[in-house]
Order: sequence, then C-alpha cells, then structure tokens
Amino acid sequence: MLRTKLLLRAICCGLILIVLGTSELSAQTEIPKNLHINGLGRTLIQRTQLGGTISETDTTTASDLMDGEFLLDLKINATPNEKTEVQSILRLRNEFGGFFGSGMSVEVRELFARGIVGNSFRYHVGDMDLKMTPYTLFQHDAGLNVNEAEIFRARQELIDYEQFYNGDGTRRMQGGKIDFGLSAGAIFSEINISGFFTRVRGTDFFSLPTRFVSGGSIELKNDRWGSITGNYVNTFDAVSIGGFDNGIRNPVQTVSANIHILDNDNMALDFEGEMGMSSIFETQETEPFDKDDTFAEGAFKLDLKPRNLQITLGFRDVGPDFFSIGAQSNRVDLDRSRTFYSRIGNDRTTRQASIFDLNRDRALYTYALSDVLRPYDPRFGNTQPYGRATANRRGVFLNVDYALADSAIELGAEAMQMQEIRGQGTTELKSFTLARVTGDININRWLGIDNILKVNLGYQFEQTQRGGVEIETVSLNSSLLDAGIQAELFDNFDLLAGIKQLTSVGDDYIPEVIRFNEVRDFPGRYIVDDNETMIAAGFRYRFSSMSTLNIQWERFNSSRATDAERAYQIDQIFILYSLYF
Amino acid sequence: MKKYLSLLLFISVVITACQHQTDPFDGPNLIDRFGEFQLTTDIAASRNSVDFSADEQVFFTAGFSKNINWVLRITGKESGAVKIIEGFDRELNQENATWNGTTSDLPLFRDEECLVELIIPEEDSLTTSVDITVTGERIYEGSLITNFEEDLGDGLFFGNFEFELTGATGRTNAIPAGQGEYCYFFEGTDNVVGNFFVGLIQIFPSVNGETYFSMPTTIPEESHFNFFLYGDGTPHTIAVIQFFTDTNGDGTFTDGVDKSFQLEGDFPVTHTGWKVFSHTMADIGISEAELSQLTAVQVLLISNMSAQPNPPNPVRFGIDYMTFTQDQPLSL
Repeated sequence: MLRTKLLLRAICCGLILIVLGTSELSAQTEIPKNLHINGLGRTLIQRTQLGGTISETDTTTASDLMDGEFLLDLKINATPNEKTEVQSILRLRNEFGGFFGSGMSVEVRELFARGIVGNSFRYHVGDMDLKMTPYTLFQHDAGLNVNEAEIFRARQELIDYEQFYNGDGTRRMQGGKIDFGLSAGAIFSEINISGFFTRVRGTDFFSLPTRFVSGGSIELKNDRWGSITGNYVNTFDAVSIGGFDNGIRNPVQTVSANIHILDNDNMALDFEGEMGMSSIFETQETEPFDKDDTFAEGAFKLDLKPRNLQITLGFRDVGPDFFSIGAQSNRVDLDRSRTFYSRIGNDRTTRQASIFDLNRDRALYTYALSDVLRPYDPRFGNTQPYGRATANRRGVFLNVDYALADSAIELGAEAMQMQEIRGQGTTELKSFTLARVTGDININRWLGIDNILKVNLGYQFEQTQRGGVEIETVSLNSSLLDAGIQAELFDNFDLLAGIKQLTSVGDDYIPEVIRFNEVRDFPGRYIVDDNETMIAAGFRYRFSSMSTLNIQWERFNSSRATDAERAYQIDQIFILYSLYF
Repeated sequence: MKKYLSLLLFISVVITACQHQTDPFDGPNLIDRFGEFQLTTDIAASRNSVDFSADEQVFFTAGFSKNINWVLRITGKESGAVKIIEGFDRELNQENATWNGTTSDLPLFRDEECLVELIIPEEDSLTTSVDITVTGERIYEGSLITNFEEDLGDGLFFGNFEFELTGATGRTNAIPAGQGEYCYFFEGTDNVVGNFFVGLIQIFPSVNGETYFSMPTTIPEESHFNFFLYGDGTPHTIAVIQFFTDTNGDGTFTDGVDKSFQLEGDFPVTHTGWKVFSHTMADIGISEAELSQLTAVQVLLISNMSAQPNPPNPVRFGIDYMTFTQDQPLSL
C-alpha cells in the first residue's frame, strides 16, 4: 500500500515537473540510442459560469463550475532494429482537485508495432489510423467552423487530440495492415497494394456480435496520365463467435481515378472521381434488411499556377440507400450527455448542443463506428451532415482558392447546390444551397513587420427548401460567422480575440432513423429561430513551437425565439498549458 | 488519347451509377402524419341487407382527407356479436372494408340488424354509422356435433347423479348463446358429495342420425375439435370434455366399456363471456381407427375443490357450437 502511494506520488511529481516545463525530458534522462521518449504534457484549469434568463428562475443548477486536469502522455518509441518499431503511449491523468489516487487514472492510450519485411513489405499491428476514400473509410470533420479563429483552435485541437482526429480523415482503429508496391513496366509505373483487418467491437455474448472492418486497395499509377484505384471495405459481424443468429454485412466497393488532362507551366487540369456501390444486409433468415445503392462523384480541378488560383467544379450523386459505416459514422454524437450543464432549468430539461459545446466538450465526440446514422442538427449542417458520403444527395459543387503571391491574403470560396434524390415523407424533394467564403489577411506582411498581425474571416450560409402543400414545405436558413484576430504584441506573446455566431431561422423535419438508414418517423416539425454567439479574448505565450500557454475568457449566449425563457449565457475562463516534447 | 478515352469511360460509368430507386419516399407520409383530418365521404354500405349463407358479402365506403388509422366496428343488435375491421388508408372500399359474416368476438352473428360504426381513434374517436340487416348468417365449414338450437331428445343423456346441478342446467336461451339462440348451460355446487364432480351430459351421434360422429377427416393430426365456452369470471369452474370410442364394436355407447379420451389439463373456465377453444384430436392421444368410431361426447362440470372455500361456491359454464374442422381450427 505504501509502495503504491509512493509510486503515485512519484508519478504526480513527474507530471507536475513536466507540465511546468522545467526542461525537456530527453535532456534529463539517460535513454538508450534506440529508445525515444516523447509525449504531451497538459494542464487545463477552467471556470464555467451559467447565467442569463434561465438563471433568474433556475434554483437547481449550480451556477459556477470549476474543473480541469493534469495530463501526461508518455510516448515510448523503441526501434530494436532498423526495420522494426514499437510504440506505446502511457497516459497519466489526474482530475483537477484529485490527489494521490483520487481522480487519477493510468491507461495505455496507444500501442503498436510496425516494420518492413524485405525492404518492400510494410506491416503495422495494434492501434493505427486508417483512411481510404470519402465513401469507404473516412472521418469527415463534423465540427462547426469556417476558417475558425485562432483563439478557438486551442480547445478544438484538444478535442481532436483526445479523439485521435488528425484532420486528414483518418479513423483510429485497432488491428493490422500491410502495404507494398510493385514496379509494373510499360503501362503502369507503379502498383500499390494495401490491406487491413481490424476489430471495432467485441462481443458481449448476449446481443452484440463481434464486429470487424476489413478492406484494401489496389492503385495503378502512371506518371503521365494519373492513377486509378480499386477500393474495398467491408464491415461485418462474426456471428459464429458467441453463437448469434444475426449479424450485418456492409461491403462497399469503389473505383477512384485521378487523371492528369493537362499540365504545363501555366496551368494544370485534372479530373478526380470516384464511383461505387454499397450493400447493407442482415444474415438472419426472417425479415432480413437488405439494401444496396450506388454513388458517383467527378470533378475537374484547374490550377492557374501563375495566378495562385485553383478552381474545382464537380458533380456528386449519392444514392438514397447508399450506406457506408466507415464513411458515414459522424464523429459528433448529439445523443451523448454533455459533461457540463447537460440539464438546466428547474424542469431539468436537456440542454441542446451548441457551438460552444462543440468547441469545449470532448464528450460529444467519438471515433467509434455506428451502424445507425447518428442524429444531426440541421442548424449545424443540412447539406451534407454525413460528409461527402451523405446519402440521398445529387448536385454540383464549386471550390475556388486564391492567394496573393506573398500570401498576404488567402481567399477561399465554396458553393454547393444539392437536391434530394428521394423525398422524405413526401415525393417533394428538398434542395440545399451552401455558400462559404474564407479569408486570411496577414496584415503584418502588408505592413512589412515581423510580428504576426492576422485577421481571419469566414462566413457560411446554408439554405434548405422544399415545396409542396403546407405540411410538406420546408424553409431553413442558417448562417455561421467566424472571425478572429491574432496580434503578436511582443515576441511570441499573442493577443487573441474572436467571434463565432450561428443564426438559424426556419423549419425542417428531422428524420428519426432506425436500423442503419431507415427512416421510421418524423417526430414533428422542427422550428428554430436561434441565435448563438460566442466571443472570446485572451493571451497566448508561445514558449516554443512545442509549448504554449493560453489564458482565455469566453462568453457564450444562446437564445431561442421559440423558447425565450430558456435563454442562457455561459462565461468561461481557462488556462491551458500544452507541452509537446 | 488513352487518357481521354479513360476519362470518357469513367464519366460514362459515373452517369450510369446515378440510377437509383426513387419511389416511394422514405418514412411516413407527412400529410398523413401531420395533416388536418376531414371526413370527405361519409360511411355507406354496398347493400342494405346481406345473406351470408348464400355467400353474399357487403363492403363499406368512406373517404378521408389523408391516410389515417380507422376502425370499422359491426355490432349485432340482438346477438351482441362484434366484428372489427381495421386499417390505415385514405378511403374505405371493397379492398379493405369487406365483411363476409365472420366475427371478431363471440357470439357469432345471427339473422339480425347490425350497427356499423366507423371510428377514427386519432380524431377523438370520431364515429359515424350505418345500419345493415343480416338475412342469412354465415355457414362455417366443418362437421357440427350440435349447436343446441334444437332439442337433442334421446341424443342427450343428463347425468345429475349427485343431485348437485341446479334447475338452471339445461338447453337454454337465458344467456346469449355463442351461436344462434340456444346453448347448453351447467350450474351446480359440489356440496353433496365432495368429489369435484358436479354433473354431466352425454351427446350421442344419434342427434345427427348417425352411428358414429361424422367428421371431415379421421386423421387425428388433421382433425380439430372446436367449441365455445361461456364463463362468468368466477375462479373454480372446470369443464371436462371426453370422447368415447366404440371399443366393443356394438355401434352404440357402452358405459364402462367404451374407451375414453380427454385433453390433459381440461378447461378451467375463468373467463367472462364466450370464448372459442380448439385442439387437434391427436392432442388427446386417439388413433385414426378410434376416431372413426366415436360413440359419445361427454361434457362434465367439475368444481375445483382444491381451491374452493368451505362451503364451496357454485360453479357454472355454458357450451355451444361443438364442431370438427379439418386441417385448421375453426376460423371465426
């Protein structure tokens, strides 16, 4: 018992030392040459206060919360030989206010081994990040931001790190993968083959069979005209393990292509596309679920090189019954309870997830795959709530990116016009219009000063409409404003400020989905007249590119015209210290 | 050239991939789900009178402004029989609202006036109605032992051996019959000889002018015995039904000689009103040869003395429409 206490005390001391950033660990420790120790130390202390109209009558909710954590992710990487690598991340975490065992946890966050066999065959077993295409295995960014202000990124990066989200569409999984390449002669200069097999769920021996995801791709590459890739992924239940009568199968097979049409000093024109089909069915013999559908996407990408102008014009068609667990599992699960102020008011009503929650609450996020489409909030995104693989959409999209030669201004624009392929509750079809503009203005480059002075702007407008008789009509307009400023007052000392505002007015029907993507009902007309505003200001000191300290204040206001008495305000002050070593 | 061909090929396939199943729509119809309801056409019957015994049918029509759950309740004004037809539609028509004389809740319909009510439960049970007349009740398939509509005469033996049956016992129309106007009613108290037994009747094939009871099939697994039992909800009544086969081959029922069969567990009568019971003859362990020579059906009133208070309460039940069907139980 005494030994355990001493061990915990030593761990805590080590954590505190690292968190305080006294020095880099590698400088203190004698480490074998083939053993590397890196990691992350983080301290977060935050105070959150609830106010606003609802607080005038709410006598049951604590108005003031304070919490935080001290955390050390110790990454131990060993290379026993030049072709083998083993890595683990050991996490030590202590809740703010917990001491010597109370509130403390020790866990393995990551564990894998990888290497090369015969200089050509790469393998990886254990935890890994996997990505294929946006229609097969992909994690799209469900966060609600459009060129988010720097001040909001600290919290978002924290969530992304906790949820293994790298921003590149990878999904955290566990299993094994291999890949290798071949030189193939005249037609194809290169053939790349990869495959993986992962387990995403174990059986409980009662109702849930073990679930696996396997897949692979074969890429045929030609240096002159591009590449074509065959992709296959299958999510399936092993009914024999545990003796189950029913399991699912969700194979998705696609062909993607990238064809270089033109490429010279002035411009490049490429065609990128993907098409394929999915099936979803159950193995049980009575009343089995069985659907399949196709999708196709194609886009021309024009790069006017001297002008730093890229234009993409494309077409997308995703069938109503297209279902791909690996691509459509949202990383935001709105059904999850919030970790703070989950219920407010004397009636203890569940508080609706807001832009503040999406930026603060890691509990809303998950990297787990789901065999039912997770619920979505049309205010946050109605055009493609499940990313590019959102089923029942057909339309065109246009992306434009432009940057001045010195990158003083970087502009982006995105427009999308989509329509349902099959109606929901009616033969009338919804149409979706999405327009998004972003801009980064690096004022310091104009002024010719070294210290950063940057303004970033983003605005998104989304419109959903449907005609028909009165019951069928739908009209929902949502807009999102993201704006921020980053001013480096002194060397590495930044003043940060930002605003994020969501307004949503109108109505829609949100389907209640059961069994994969089957619409069971429409609980009622969803009427909104909402306004959510989050403003923030603070300071950041960058000790190095690996170490930062943020001290920020944030205020969030939520008001709903349809429920004015439940308007509320949340004030938050937090200190976040992050050290990557 | 090759890459342009590849591009063309890819785009062609992409276009091909844009064919989807677009009909019907996903989920429930929004108009049905949230639209305002109106009765656009009131209920009407395709005919004012119907003779089910002549294979006639009647259907009902009505129209609504949207698809909605509806209930058609047909009630016999004399028998109290009830037929329920339900649906989720925008209109009532020959497809979804046809009545062929069957019943949902016993008793069976007679030749009588019937009230036909159209009920919309979701609209505060909005009800509209029409009357029709049944001039010929439905004829059910099967071989009827008896429905007690006629006096069974020598075809029925009444066994009140312990004098425990009351005067209410007998063929009667004092209670609404399960079919027609008459049924057989037992009532008594096991207070003379405390042996569970109260009284019995025996029914012989002679009620139909036969030596052995005729039936659609003598294969026990395919032969279903059906009957209606009436109860008043009291807890101590048990009905026992026994079948006797002509063991000595004399063509008549010989008590103490002819072998008897009965369903294990018998029939506790705890329900209220009429209820249909069915079992196959294989369930009582009878062979095909034995089934082809049934000489008697015996119905006994038993008092469940194990559960009776002291002194015991009276026990009673009614029985009606005893019939054999082939391949399946009697379908009401």
